Amino acid sequence: MDLNIRIAGEAGQGVLTTGNVLVGALAQTGLYVLSTKSYMSRIRGGLNWFDIRIADEPLFAGRQRADLLVALTDSALDALKGHVTENSVVVHDGSRIEGVIGIDLSAVAKDAGGTDIMSNTVAAGCVFGLLGYDIDLLCDFLENRFSKDSDTAAKNASCARRGAELIGEQHRGVLRPPAPADAPCGVISGAEAIGMSAAASGIKLAASYPMSPSTGVFTVLAAAADEYGIVVEQAESEIAAINMVCGAAYAGAPAMTTTSGGGFALMCEGLSLAGIMELPAVIVLAQRPGPATGLPTRTGQEDLKFAVNGGHGEFARIVIAPGTIEQAHLLTRHAIEMAHKHQTPAIILVDQYLVDMQKNLPEADNSYRPIDRCVVEAGEGYLRYALTDSGISPRAIPGGAAPIVSDSDEHTTDGHLTEDLVVRIEQVDKRLRKLDGLLAEALAPERYGPEDAETLLICWGSAYGPAREAVDLINKQGGAVASLHFAQPHPLNIEAARRAIGSPERIVCVEGNATGQFASILRQAGVIGQCDLMSRYDGLPFTGEEIARRLDK
Amino acid sequence: MTAYQLAEADTSPAWCPGCGNFQILKTIDAALAEAGADPKQTVLVSGIGQAAKLPHYTELKYNVFNGLHGRALPAATGIKTANHALNVIITSGDGDMYGEGGNHLIHAFRRNIGVKAFVHNNQIYGLTKGQASPTSDLGLVTKIQTHGVVLQPLNPLATAIIEDCSFVARSFSGDPEHLQQMMVEAIEHEGFALLDILQPCVSFNKVNTFKWYKDRVKPIDSAHDSTDRDAALRLAMQWGQEIPIGVLYRSDRQSYEAQQSVLDKATLVEQYYAS
Repeated sequence: MDLNIRIAGEAGQGVLTTGNVLVGALAQTGLYVLSTKSYMSRIRGGLNWFDIRIADEPLFAGRQRADLLVALTDSALDALKGHVTENSVVVHDGSRIEGVIGIDLSAVAKDAGGTDIMSNTVAAGCVFGLLGYDIDLLCDFLENRFSKDSDTAAKNASCARRGAELIGEQHRGVLRPPAPADAPCGVISGAEAIGMSAAASGIKLAASYPMSPSTGVFTVLAAAADEYGIVVEQAESEIAAINMVCGAAYAGAPAMTTTSGGGFALMCEGLSLAGIMELPAVIVLAQRPGPATGLPTRTGQEDLKFAVNGGHGEFARIVIAPGTIEQAHLLTRHAIEMAHKHQTPAIILVDQYLVDMQKNLPEADNSYRPIDRCVVEAGEGYLRYALTDSGISPRAIPGGAAPIVSDSDEHTTDGHLTEDLVVRIEQVDKRLRKLDGLLAEALAPERYGPEDAETLLICWGSAYGPAREAVDLINKQGGAVASLHFAQPHPLNIEAARRAIGSPERIVCVEGNATGQFASILRQAGVIGQCDLMSRYDGLPFTGEEIARRLDK
Repeated sequence: MTAYQLAEADTSPAWCPGCGNFQILKTIDAALAEAGADPKQTVLVSGIGQAAKLPHYTELKYNVFNGLHGRALPAATGIKTANHALNVIITSGDGDMYGEGGNHLIHAFRRNIGVKAFVHNNQIYGLTKGQASPTSDLGLVTKIQTHGVVLQPLNPLATAIIEDCSFVARSFSGDPEHLQQMMVEAIEHEGFALLDILQPCVSFNKVNTFKWYKDRVKPIDSAHDSTDRDAALRLAMQWGQEIPIGVLYRSDRQSYEAQQSVLDKATLVEQYYAS
């Protein structure tokens, strides 16, 4: 049992504020809450919407259909009328249209003693009232939110109550809301999961150039900087950012940068530098559709092959693509650990959909627990790039007994540049041996659904949630479908992938790109043969219903 | 597998006999020693180019980060931020710092992090064999600029002064005593320091030769007030018959690291396991 609430209007109208208040307050009821954002690349005007899905069981993805649409403008009502059904309820700010619940939010706000800006709170009150949830929970949430200003807090609470009374009591019962369960109260976004995990894991320098949709993670790191002891530097370019990260990593401070596809393109030479210097550079790559500027505020999974192959020359790297907010938290730490253990770049590959998603989850452990930097004290005769079986040379940092020499040129075991072509081969082989270690620790793909499923949905990254929901929807109707999610697309443990895939009758790769990039990687590795591709590249995320419907065709 | 076996590490200079880099190399060791910099606590950072190879050739053994072309500044910024107890010295050329890395230089002036940039400025591209650099004089003919350079040369020192770079100086590789003094002053300066070092390229710049520089460089009058920005700018605009060398400008702006409260108690590297 679930219900999807959509708040829609122009940028700058308070869609985000209303949405965030509702997410926070609804999470206090015990309902499972999951929100997603769809917005345009502008500060004012256009059409933005904010979806809040509520249910009596855990949620993993958004939905296209709105059961309750709160339209703040005529154009939002017009644009989204295809997203509602005959059973949906529409609340519209302003006019009186048949079949639509009209309300003048601003007038109600002022009448309740508030200001124009508190229209947002009236809207939130309307939603609570319509659904029949305890309005005190919303008022308490608002009072907490504005605890520094009791007057504002009281006015907001008054606006919320008036909204609930006016609309709620008159129209209660038009929707069948899910019953509150025992879901946790704390709400966390994908961006917070990544940023806080990085802060807790010991990232000491965050250097980035702002770029949607990665900026949220950078903002979280900035907010955490004082408490966790992080220098946050807004670099003059992505090129500067990645080189700062390389410099800090060389000097011994775990460092991270956040970017999207275009910025990652600029970072590729620096990525390659981290490869040859064997530096633990950590990159959060939050995807949006390309090429070039593409759709700046939308989502996509178009940069998998770019993340796997970006940067000139050949070197080991790890690409982690979490499927959920929980995974984003756990695997950010894992990626930072792997980068340091194997002294090579790690890319955390997410997208707008996942970084902007919010969900109520059990409180994560964000206490400061720095990962092992894997730094040694250099002794007599120390060689930074000593040849080893694992390819990992013990890493010392400047300031110790031995000088640390690192070069972007090919270098000898002591780090000085060389054109000795025997040494060259030794160093290439050494660096690539690290792939064996990375493979030995590769994350196994996660299967959801029956072992004997006829159809297997293969996905990676944020397609996890929609694929999982599709599995449940189909199997409830008597289908036999399972999903297999790869949180580590690279390096790929071919044997493990083969075993996990088994021999289903049909394989469908579900990917947010037009060309089936992961399917291609799997085929190239000989893991699968022919398969179907279910792609989406309009800039919006998959939904479970969509996958189920398209699979049925 | 067969492969060519050459000398192990290329730690003997790859420069032409008579190259100005030799004198700069010698002087860096002497200046760091005079400034009391412990080689273990010193990192030489460079990009790519003939000057950028210098860290591999020093007599004393420093820490070295020889990174990407044009990117010495951001790498040095990362190093200094991670461990601000280190002396972080950039030694790179005019192509690296004024061309490929020009954007970083502008923002280094603004950031004022305690990194010292020694720019070997020979007004030509040496490593790529003789194309114009951002500081090549108008009309200089090369194999690429076959009709002579038409791009106005960059004035790095005037740009630095306009952007309130907190230490702006020029020296000449042919005057080691002056050069050493400028390096020491730069090393001892708290914020970002730009030291432009005029240097002949014996192979590719047949105009701005050792003699050309020698005849023109002139130490700045001791009466010059280096905190006077207008006077400094006037000196920076001089080029041609007379080229002033010395400290043109300095200001006591707070350094980047001094303004990071996170760095008050210890370096990031030190506080890693503690905070």
